[in-house]
Amino acid sequence: MVKPFNILSNRKGRVEGKAKVTGKALYSAEYELPKLAHGVLVGSTITNGKIIGIDTSIAKEIPGVIDVLSYWNKPNIAALENAEKRKDFPIHHTFFHTTKIDFNDQPIALVVAETLEDASFAASLVKAQYEENKDMDIDFDNVRKRVDLNDMKDDRGSSSNWQNAPHIVDQEYEIAMEVHNPMEMHATIAQWDSANSLRVYDKSQGVNAVQNNLGALFNLDPKNIRVTSEFVGGGFGSGLNMWFNTVAASLAAKQLNRPVKVVLTRPQMFTMVGYRPESWQRVKIGAATDGKLLGVIHQSKHTKSQNHHFSEGITAIAHKVYGFENVQRNATTVPLHLSSPTWMRGPGDSTGTFGVESAIDELCYKMDVDPVDIRMKNIAPYEMQTGNPWSSHFLDECLQRGAETIGWENRPTKPLQLKEGNWYTGYGMAVGLWNAMRRHAGASIEMDKKGNLVIRTAMTDIGTGTGEAIVNMAHEFLGIPREKIKIELGDSIHPKAVTQGGSWGLSSLSGAIAAASTALKEKLATYASTNDQQWKAASIVLGENEISMQGKPDQKVTYASLFTKNNLDTIMVEEYSSAGEEREKYGFCSSAAHFYRVKVHALTGQVKMDRMVIVVDAGTIVNPQAAANQIIGAGVGGVGMALTEKQEVDINSGRLVGNDFAGYHVAVNADVPLIEVSFIDKPDPHINPMGAKGLGEVGLIGAAPAITNAIYNAIGVRFRKLPVTPDKVTSSFNSSA
Amino acid sequence: MRDQPSSSKTYSRRFFIKSSSAFAALAVIPNSVKAFYNHIKEIFVPKKEILPLSLRINEKPYSLDVDSRTTLLDLLRENLQLTGTKKGCDHGQCGACTVHVNGERVLSCLTLAATLPESDVTTIEGLAKGDELHPMQEAFLEHDGFQCGYCTPGQIMSAVACVQEGRTTSVGEIKEFMSGNICRCGAYNGITNAIQSIAK
Ligand code: FES
Ligand code: FES
Repeated sequence: MVKPFNILSNRKGRVEGKAKVTGKALYSAEYELPKLAHGVLVGSTITNGKIIGIDTSIAKEIPGVIDVLSYWNKPNIAALENAEKRKDFPIHHTFFHTTKIDFNDQPIALVVAETLEDASFAASLVKAQYEENKDMDIDFDNVRKRVDLNDMKDDRGSSSNWQNAPHIVDQEYEIAMEVHNPMEMHATIAQWDSANSLRVYDKSQGVNAVQNNLGALFNLDPKNIRVTSEFVGGGFGSGLNMWFNTVAASLAAKQLNRPVKVVLTRPQMFTMVGYRPESWQRVKIGAATDGKLLGVIHQSKHTKSQNHHFSEGITAIAHKVYGFENVQRNATTVPLHLSSPTWMRGPGDSTGTFGVESAIDELCYKMDVDPVDIRMKNIAPYEMQTGNPWSSHFLDECLQRGAETIGWENRPTKPLQLKEGNWYTGYGMAVGLWNAMRRHAGASIEMDKKGNLVIRTAMTDIGTGTGEAIVNMAHEFLGIPREKIKIELGDSIHPKAVTQGGSWGLSSLSGAIAAASTALKEKLATYASTNDQQWKAASIVLGENEISMQGKPDQKVTYASLFTKNNLDTIMVEEYSSAGEEREKYGFCSSAAHFYRVKVHALTGQVKMDRMVIVVDAGTIVNPQAAANQIIGAGVGGVGMALTEKQEVDINSGRLVGNDFAGYHVAVNADVPLIEVSFIDKPDPHINPMGAKGLGEVGLIGAAPAITNAIYNAIGVRFRKLPVTPDKVTSSFNSSA
Repeated sequence: MRDQPSSSKTYSRRFFIKSSSAFAALAVIPNSVKAFYNHIKEIFVPKKEILPLSLRINEKPYSLDVDSRTTLLDLLRENLQLTGTKKGCDHGQCGACTVHVNGERVLSCLTLAATLPESDVTTIEGLAKGDELHPMQEAFLEHDGFQCGYCTPGQIMSAVACVQEGRTTSVGEIKEFMSGNICRCGAYNGITNAIQSIAK
């Protein structure tokens, strides 16, 4: 059976595009299983304390209700049977195995019923008794003052010898709690095929990780667990972890011996699958009169939950982008009575970059120098922490092209210069950088008698265009027409691959596709070679109906005769690849330059993105349309981060306020212009066989400070706290008037 | 079949829920008292009402029995396995569930199925004519008007309606009238370009 991923026929756009525009693509909540029951999670109504009892009697009276799982009613799981063992698991896998409540809406029960309506209604009738502890830490602004910074122990140079620099900026920056909110809500369908065999459809960025996590929980060989995430409705980091919906569905399916589906509600998406932590940072930068950046002190604090350690390297960026000879870093995390944060697009670096890129802009206005010039002058000449040369790094070209495209030369160099009616116009820029990584991934290729290929990998495609990238890479390595390639991915029955995230997906996969392509050509060479005619694997080109030798137009053999001669049904190859010793020799990074024009309304405080130009160096661009789309989407995310996104927390109760799309504002179509993206598109010589460096994060990193820098250029007000909502802009006008 | 409204309407559901702890004690109460409570409970627990509904979805007639609480969205996704229509919020805030009812765009998560007798519903599955895609679907493919694809059916259904409404005369207008459809992947260039290519 052809999987929906490949309903090609007309081959416009991505390989899986037709499935997506016709509604045939199946996401994790959409598989039809016989006797499927619906589970709805119930969250705690207190924020801190202990659950001492649960009253499910009314819920169970509701017709259609099958069972209510909780601490008091669940299958026995040996791995979680005592507190000591539970320590091996993250708190969000063990909610039904603890009575401790550490945040509001912590899952306390799962109501399972025949229909979603029955389950939802019954969930509203579950009552819990608590011992509430009103002594809780909610307010980051206050609590962080009690928590001391730690030395990050990787300082460079000295932090004392530049304190008398002629130009110094020393400021604090804050970013609100942001929530990933992929459009598809996290969902799991779990079914036990036998006591030792679990089948899961899960919204996840990595099926092998879910497989391993469930294996550890249920004491199963991961081989006996199959996890499918064929279509994933976005992630942005929320799908890097396995969360409680997966555990709850698996527990319920085990207890009831029938398949159970658990879909989070949108409000639960704010409390059960992570978020970008609220953060504070201090950035102190000193510069010489000639614009050389002398030193940086970067300090940060961000929130985490009570029982799950999470730390993102907000200050790591201080080492990366510029050639500071003196770097001092201090950081810490602040435990609050909130759910656990997790990595969100550009984790750490996008937060830290807001601080550093804002501070440099402040410095430029102080010194009266061009923000582009000062960056050009200070780009790290090599990877600062290792001393390794960059494998490839074209941030300077990004800066030049971006400046040209937006007309940077003609910008006003001082605020409040451009005004039309009530709209002020301003220009701002900033840069982003992300370490280009490569990790372990596998792929297989199966060829049939007609020369059609099926390429398989466990890696997911969360919207980045992995499927189409594989098609392009295989076409590149084998010469095979694209139409002859089908893709199967996002399933743990396929060759293992690293979780998709961190911008390493394509980089990791390209090695596996290259290796599998080579292996296929070697097999073909062996099968094709005869005493009279030798075939060299490296020169084989796969055509529509036959293979041929590069440079020897007469040497050909059809797939049909090759298969018949060797008595074959299929040819299979499977290969794995990882990064190698090039990692010891070079520094790898992708980079981006953001050049934005904003309009700020003097009366309403509205900030309108007027132009957004993003130029990216991500090595070879394997899939130009999807790559541009990634950067566009990252730019949209940056607009949300800078202008609209803030999850409010009631500091008295620990409850989230307005945790849905009406209360939490993501950027919509009208909030952004048509974003202008271009790529340097030069291959990196060492990172992987394609020379592709990855670009999922880098388009977001630097977007927010480019916006606040542009606002400063427009109205002369420096915003150091995100998001910059209209109320903040109007009150800044009022206070400066 | 349809139940007649009973006297239970005079008691609020809230009152029932508040008295729930009384039911928790049922286990230790003599049978006669239990029977009495069960009687009371029947008055208070809102009965599941199953209503007959006939309508057309993608030109196909359906005769169904639907739960009075079932939204058009859940009818499509959970009962009819027409999962092309997506749930992004269930509260009318995201547009992922957009379908056409009698030719106009409607949020299916805010529409109770039982309110649609004899209606004509078109979902993403009904947009193509057999193998031939709707021009808007083609345009979304050509302009890469999506990434993860989850908001896409809603975007396309809204886009088709948007063109019909005559709200696609400029990029600004398209963006404004497509802003009820959130794309968290941010594929707004592709969405806007796709619509503009059809609007011309
Ligand atoms: S699901 Fe209907 S508007 Fe979001
Ligand atoms: S394509 Fe992912 S939300 Fe729009």
